[in-house]
Amino acid sequence: MTAASIKEKQSLIGTSVPRIGVDGKLNGKALFSNDVAPKNSLWVKALRSELAHAKIESIDIKDALNTPGCVAILTAQDIPGNNSFGIINKDQPLLAGSKVRFVGDPVALAVAISEDVAELALSKIHVTYTELASIFDPEESLAPGSPFIHEKGNLLGKRLIKKGAPELAFEKADVIIERTYQTTCLEHAYLEPDAGYAYFDSDGKIVIYASTQNPHYDQADVASLLGLEADRVRIIQTNTGGGFGSKLDLNTQGFLGLACYLLKKPVRMVFSREEAFLCTSKRHPLKIKYKSAASKDGRLLAIDVKIMGDTGAYASYGLAVVSRSAIHATGPYEVPNVSIESVFAYTNNPIAGAMRGFGVPQVAFAHESQMDLLAEALGVSPLEIRRRNALRLGSTTATKQELTASVGIQTCIEAIAPHYEAIRNKTNSKDSKKLKGVGLGCMMYGIGNTGTQNPSTAQVELQSNGGIVLYSGAADIGQGSSTVLIQIVATELGVGAEKITLVNADTGLTTSAGATSASRQTYISGNAALDAARKLKEAILTEAATMLKANRKKLYMKNGNVLDSSGVDSSVSFEQIANKAKREGRPLKWQGFFDPDTTPLDPETGQGKPYATFAFAAQIAEVEVDILTAEVTVKKIIAAHDVGKAINPESVKGQIYGGAAMGLGFALMEEFIPGKTVSLKDYHIPTFSDMPPVECLIIEEPEPTGPFGAKGVGEPALIPTAPAILNAIADALGSRIYSLPANLERVMKAIHSGASKMKFRLNQ
Amino acid sequence: MRLPKFEYFEPETLEEALRLLAEWRERVCVLAGGTDVLVKMRNGRLKPGAVIALERISSLNGIGFDLRKGLTIGAGAKLSDVTSHPDILRYYPAIARAARVMANVQVRNMGTIGGNLCNAAPSAENAPPLMALGAVVTAASLEEERRITLDDFFRGPGLTAMKPEEIMTSIFVPTPPANSGASYQRISARCGVDIAAVSVGAMIMIEDTVCREVRIALGAVAPVPMRALSAEAFLKEKVWSEEFLREAARISADESRPISDVRASLEFRKQMVAVMTQRALEEAYGRAIKR
Ligand SMILES: Cc1cc2nc3c(=O)[nH]c(=O)nc-3n(C[C@H](O)[C@H](O)[C@H](O)COP(=O)(O)OP(=O)(O)OC[C@H]3O[C@@H](n4cnc5c(N)ncnc54)[C@H](O)[C@@H]3O)c2cc1C
Repeated sequence: MTAASIKEKQSLIGTSVPRIGVDGKLNGKALFSNDVAPKNSLWVKALRSELAHAKIESIDIKDALNTPGCVAILTAQDIPGNNSFGIINKDQPLLAGSKVRFVGDPVALAVAISEDVAELALSKIHVTYTELASIFDPEESLAPGSPFIHEKGNLLGKRLIKKGAPELAFEKADVIIERTYQTTCLEHAYLEPDAGYAYFDSDGKIVIYASTQNPHYDQADVASLLGLEADRVRIIQTNTGGGFGSKLDLNTQGFLGLACYLLKKPVRMVFSREEAFLCTSKRHPLKIKYKSAASKDGRLLAIDVKIMGDTGAYASYGLAVVSRSAIHATGPYEVPNVSIESVFAYTNNPIAGAMRGFGVPQVAFAHESQMDLLAEALGVSPLEIRRRNALRLGSTTATKQELTASVGIQTCIEAIAPHYEAIRNKTNSKDSKKLKGVGLGCMMYGIGNTGTQNPSTAQVELQSNGGIVLYSGAADIGQGSSTVLIQIVATELGVGAEKITLVNADTGLTTSAGATSASRQTYISGNAALDAARKLKEAILTEAATMLKANRKKLYMKNGNVLDSSGVDSSVSFEQIANKAKREGRPLKWQGFFDPDTTPLDPETGQGKPYATFAFAAQIAEVEVDILTAEVTVKKIIAAHDVGKAINPESVKGQIYGGAAMGLGFALMEEFIPGKTVSLKDYHIPTFSDMPPVECLIIEEPEPTGPFGAKGVGEPALIPTAPAILNAIADALGSRIYSLPANLERVMKAIHSGASKMKFRLNQ
Repeated sequence: MRLPKFEYFEPETLEEALRLLAEWRERVCVLAGGTDVLVKMRNGRLKPGAVIALERISSLNGIGFDLRKGLTIGAGAKLSDVTSHPDILRYYPAIARAARVMANVQVRNMGTIGGNLCNAAPSAENAPPLMALGAVVTAASLEEERRITLDDFFRGPGLTAMKPEEIMTSIFVPTPPANSGASYQRISARCGVDIAAVSVGAMIMIEDTVCREVRIALGAVAPVPMRALSAEAFLKEKVWSEEFLREAARISADESRPISDVRASLEFRKQMVAVMTQRALEEAYGRAIKR
């Protein structure tokens, strides 16, 4: 047996190793962010503005402080450090100082012996405001003469992308399709509303337990708010009941840090569902003006896209969405001539931040609708037009990035093609009140942050008992990154997954892995872990070669031993190796690093290499529309996703199932109306009974720079679903919906405007 | 948030409950399954000094059927019991359906049919089919026991014809006449766990293709569940036809008085009253001619 084939045999890559920590979640023993605080902790509650835009004249806390059991009332004045935070733009105060900018902006904290007392104390704080003119529309916000929401003005950011000569191409085009698409605010609606606990440890560090996607960022911003060195703050991620982007922000961490620091006492905080709805970030509502040109033979010639985004009161991850929505506006297609402009403005709406896909789900709704409209105008099938234009090896993207490997969109399209044809050929039932439709949705998604460094680090250590410890800063928020990282390291070192102990997402014990966002942890932190494991492997083999007096090249690892493949029957265990190295003072803990190869985008033309690799997908949705009630039933979703390599196929499927559910909600029912939507009672997310069967087709076009060829799937899972459903509705009705969600009333309108073209006539 | 303090009673007999009720008067709240009450207490809309739980009064929980008289459902019967009761499934499928399509498993396992009626939401799911089938409720106080037809029961959102000192003990539904059928139809913005945007209960009796009796009740389209009396009058004594059916549906939409809210606009609701009425009548007709 060669060393290579043995290694192949032992590989955990591509096997669905059960999730680590899954038992605790099943039997209820897993501790989430609200479960860790001891009984004696004080409770922190925030007083939030009821006005959208107002100057704070005064805050009277006397009565509140006299509430029996109230320990402290904290306002902006009490913040010792820099009262502004944010992952990209530091424009958000922890507690509003001079003014409030949205309904929900925090102005004061009560710290008390119980949650009830804290709430009572809050009700006794008297804030005097002078109301300011408020703005709820981004275009209005940027109009000359609009009142400023921030001192620097109301423009969050702008991204331009220019390629080729679009004006010329539009002149020569055979068809031009121009439409405007609108999406709304969405709430993440994760299972676990934000919570946390903070205390001072015996070394005088503030330790904060939180439900978070990014412990190392939290650490830096909490330290800056408190005016401390970063190492005085330690963030520990608890089990996290979903994040979807919103737990990239400091939701409770800053408040907990402040109260703990000032009072030197353990404190806890938990958001009600209503509070999480009110004050955590939302998906950006985008207005997308989209013009496409194609030639007679169905080739895209040019696009001209103008995106207007509403980022709400503070930036959060807004700038990332500005760029990402622009870069992805072409969809997974080669477009020779491109003009894209993405402009986002501040308003007095809730903060819009990161939400699964960073703007790509919104633009995908637009580009996929455009593809179907072009197909219709040209008389080719929706499948065919996508085939003709899909990116392939050697294609260049809108930013003139040449794709040199792992371009799986064609394969994804071919994988769903037979299913698509089969559904299309199904005839409509005789029951003419229910119309069937089928739609396609395709997407590409750049893995990792856009055109900036976004490295990850990890350490792998061999312990004296022969066990292996993996240290990673990566927060597993339920998507399964911890299990994947273990699979990668275990495979590299030839041991079973159970041999690896993972220490993760604790700033006291791990170094930064960057955020759990942008579908980046498998690719980037997976590579960092692999790099560390490789270095440790080298060290182990070197030790073993001396100990076995063998040819190092003939050695291989198996079940915690190093063996000689040259026929000599000798081996040495990891334990023996560890002990020897330790005695002789050689290191057994190795650091790994990975930063994807990207370049920044040119500010004028948007040219550059924003991502090292892209994920691709194609999905089909089959729907049935009741033309009398406008009810849409999604019958089936078939999802082909190019993930490079499915390190854990069940986890990949889990992401696709969840993504499809989120996409269905985005397509048909989810809409957060600022000022109106209060909780899950008026914000509809899909239930089991809304969900159709989802069939996953995993496509593996290996990414040479990925760990074992892997890319990512977290956000891609959601992106094609809504476009596929909307295209299916249009297919059924012969008329199209341009604003999401496609709720009952919008579908009813479409039914009436499509009546003439319907496959079956309305016979009412 | 924790709830403010209140007294809590779990009487085992109706009389004891009624005595407590008389004692505490306005400051008391009756609790059945609590799926409406607790929501209101938690968001501060309801702040009772005392809560009287009815769950241990077993006389309120039964379901009984007598083919000659009809169905008696204890006010405290759980929605999940209503949906699975064999006689209800057989003789009153519309009632079973209303209790089955509402809320979710957990709520149906706790919530009661009496609670749904006494809560008197405009969208109260069980009201339209019960009204269509001519239900009469019994309310008891220390002084008397009286019967109120469901038609007279609802007085406004959250308001009923019951007096503060009364407890609803049961709901009686006469045995449906021969050659009759009933149906319940609803539409909501999402498949599961959502209040109906429009609901319709209908009952018709057909004799030699003539519609001898018809009752149509609409939910969520007026301050209270309402009868579509004009539509009923139009259909009565008419020979059953597609055309009359559509006309009746249109009339019923006309007489509905919906509002626009987060769930649906006024126009859409009116449109749906017609569709749901037509579907309810069609299904009821199908059942009537099968019998
Ligand atoms: C998640 C969720 C989903 C829901 N979905 C629906 C839905 O789809 N459709 C729908 O119609 N409703 C829905 N509801 C509302 C509620 O579940 C129903 O109205 C239920 O039937 C109420 O019954 P209960 O026993 O829980 O009533 P309770 O909450 O105990 O009582 C409701 C009211 O009736 C009074 N009351 C109860 N019993 C008596 C009695 N015997 N005599 C006098 N007064 C009495 C109480 O004092 C109170 O005012 C939903 C509720 C929740 C929480």
